[in-house]
Amino acid sequence: MDFGSGYPGTPSSEILPALAELGVGHVEWSVNEKCALEAAVGASLAGARALVTMKHVGLNVAADPFFTLAYTGVKGGLVVVSADDPDMQSSQNEHDSRHYARAAQVPMLEPADSQDAADFVRQAYELSEEYDLPVLLRATTRICHSHTPVSFGPRENIARGYELAKEPEKYVMIPGYARKRNALRLEHWHELMTLAETTEFNRVEKGDERLGIVCSGVAYQYAKEVAPEASFFKIGMTWPLPRARLHEFAAGVERLVVVEESGPFLAHALRALGLSVEHLPPTLALGELSPGRVAGAIAGEDRQGPRGDSDLPPRPPVLCPGCPHRAVFVALRKLKCFVTGDIGCYTLGTLPPLSALHTCLCMGAGIGQAHGINTVFGETRSVAVIGDSTFVHSGITGLINIAYNESKSVVVILDNATTAMTGGQEHPATGRTLSGKPARKLSLEGLCRAAGIDNVVVVDPVDLANVETALQKALDSDGPAVVIARRPCVLLSRERSAPYSVDAEVCVECGQCLRLGCPAISSEDGRPVIDAGLCTGCGLCAQVCPTDAITQDEE
Amino acid sequence: MTTNVLMTGVGGQGILTASAVLSDAALLAGYDVKKSEVHGMSQRGGSVESHVRFSAEQVHSPLIAWGGADVVMALELLEGLRSAYWCRPGGVILFDERRILPSTVVAGGLQYPADCLERLARHAGTTVVVRAFTIARELGEPRAANVVMLGALSEFLPVAEEAYREALGNSMKSKALDINLRAFDLGRAETGTGAGE
Repeated sequence: MDFGSGYPGTPSSEILPALAELGVGHVEWSVNEKCALEAAVGASLAGARALVTMKHVGLNVAADPFFTLAYTGVKGGLVVVSADDPDMQSSQNEHDSRHYARAAQVPMLEPADSQDAADFVRQAYELSEEYDLPVLLRATTRICHSHTPVSFGPRENIARGYELAKEPEKYVMIPGYARKRNALRLEHWHELMTLAETTEFNRVEKGDERLGIVCSGVAYQYAKEVAPEASFFKIGMTWPLPRARLHEFAAGVERLVVVEESGPFLAHALRALGLSVEHLPPTLALGELSPGRVAGAIAGEDRQGPRGDSDLPPRPPVLCPGCPHRAVFVALRKLKCFVTGDIGCYTLGTLPPLSALHTCLCMGAGIGQAHGINTVFGETRSVAVIGDSTFVHSGITGLINIAYNESKSVVVILDNATTAMTGGQEHPATGRTLSGKPARKLSLEGLCRAAGIDNVVVVDPVDLANVETALQKALDSDGPAVVIARRPCVLLSRERSAPYSVDAEVCVECGQCLRLGCPAISSEDGRPVIDAGLCTGCGLCAQVCPTDAITQDEE
Repeated sequence: MTTNVLMTGVGGQGILTASAVLSDAALLAGYDVKKSEVHGMSQRGGSVESHVRFSAEQVHSPLIAWGGADVVMALELLEGLRSAYWCRPGGVILFDERRILPSTVVAGGLQYPADCLERLARHAGTTVVVRAFTIARELGEPRAANVVMLGALSEFLPVAEEAYREALGNSMKSKALDINLRAFDLGRAETGTGAGE
């Protein structure tokens, strides 16, 4: 491949950095998934092979170009990797992105392990070029974040000539041209349906006729684990499905069971083809599969499996010691704000004891929600909190909307110079590319002012009082306002000051420092104790202590 | 016959590194290997779990079956107890008694259980305490507690010691290798009972 683009999103984030390390063509973090796909379409137009990576909710962002791309087709092969997150380990929902393949009518592949993934991508480019369609490669967490052995053939460096031919009837989707392309698309689709009947992406493994299991992705592995004796139809090309071959398989088995993650995409499709698929408890569509759950499904049940002792205190993720976001949430909590939030480490601000974030819908939504709330009330009832990367991804348009449609909204941009939660990736406002090379740096304050918002201030969240002052001023102002809280992520900067400690003599055990939710501060019989090994020396606890019982150790 | 190892601890303790080294070692030793974990939250102090499965035959599922872990390896006491139910009857739970208080205990009013050891013993055939963090700290590299624990774990698995050493060498720069090999040896000495198969 020659061109890779995408936006970080668990469980897809590792793909582009791995490609960059291999030195494969141009690899970039794009502003968002829509940009990434559009750029890849351009690369494909020039004859390059392009790969776009995203998580399932990212495909929602790229959906606009994705659908019409099925009409224009491609030049160089184009593969879209969508990595789903069943059980929402780190997402806002667990929807099944396979539905996009059916809705847009594009071919879709589902690898069942790392070797499949390697093989399928190579074949996907050929498929894409031959049938003039993008190919959707869909994976889930246990495919993406599992490591399984892979054998590679020798690396081929294919010299591809790039050229740009003007073909408006193929690429300009005005109705006259688009209708013709749509008809052509349907022809290609029927050719693909014929291919599906013989393709080696799919495989029948004859076994006991009493049980036939149709499966794709990691569900295949679980089923092989718990029912190795059964007859298997392993689906690698999940769309279009091989109607005749599936009927032949079904005719040869007594029971037909479909196992899939996230379900019931395949089950419904098979029933639409006229096959009698056993009905499974609908709750099997919720959450991740596992060997035990698949064994249950084969028995027609949704077994939940054993649990650990239920009385154990949970261990949710928390903001790191020294995280610059903490002070902002403490200030917002003190000011009793309603906070519309967004996606990033700072979403953790919703958990106790900070409890200072009240909504989180999708990328950039916090800003839009604040605008809606403040417009209805006619005053600043809600503050929007958004990270720097999320802001560039899809907050800018919401901010321009606030300025243009005039609501008294306060937007706090948490600028920690990275895309933190997904692993610390670069973005347009960090000044570095995916590979760490210097890049033009987007000025967040410049952009806010360009939107017509005069009231833009930058504060350093190391100083809680300054943050409170800036927020109060913004709330009191008579129009939209932006507060940029700027300090690098503590995992990024690695700079440490001397740790703090609590003087037990002076401490009155008021609990204020414990209400910061800092992992470095714990309590022994009500008395706060700071772990010097975890403390980064940010000093926030000292700032909230009413009796000055917390002081910094000597260097 | 598959060997199933469940590794657990708190984000930042190096669980994913340890499971990567074990997987590499098993691969070098000629096994088919699958490993699976959940990323993203690991550096934010949340619970971390990694499944490693290896076999002379083909391994299918990247996840261990319920109650199917031959060894549960825990770098932190509460996480050890939380994951103990993965251990098969007669299996081994290898754990450090080190306690890292979760936010729900520090600021949420919940209690860190006082009877972890007794409860752990109910889940396994054998429980083994490994003072991984203490040993690593005495060695001068507290971050190598995961490698100390890996050394202790190696006594219970059918993978040659050489494979771990080579895997460690593949996983880090030579500067760090020396101290990590010593950490591995110290961990191995802790459980050097020849209890491996």
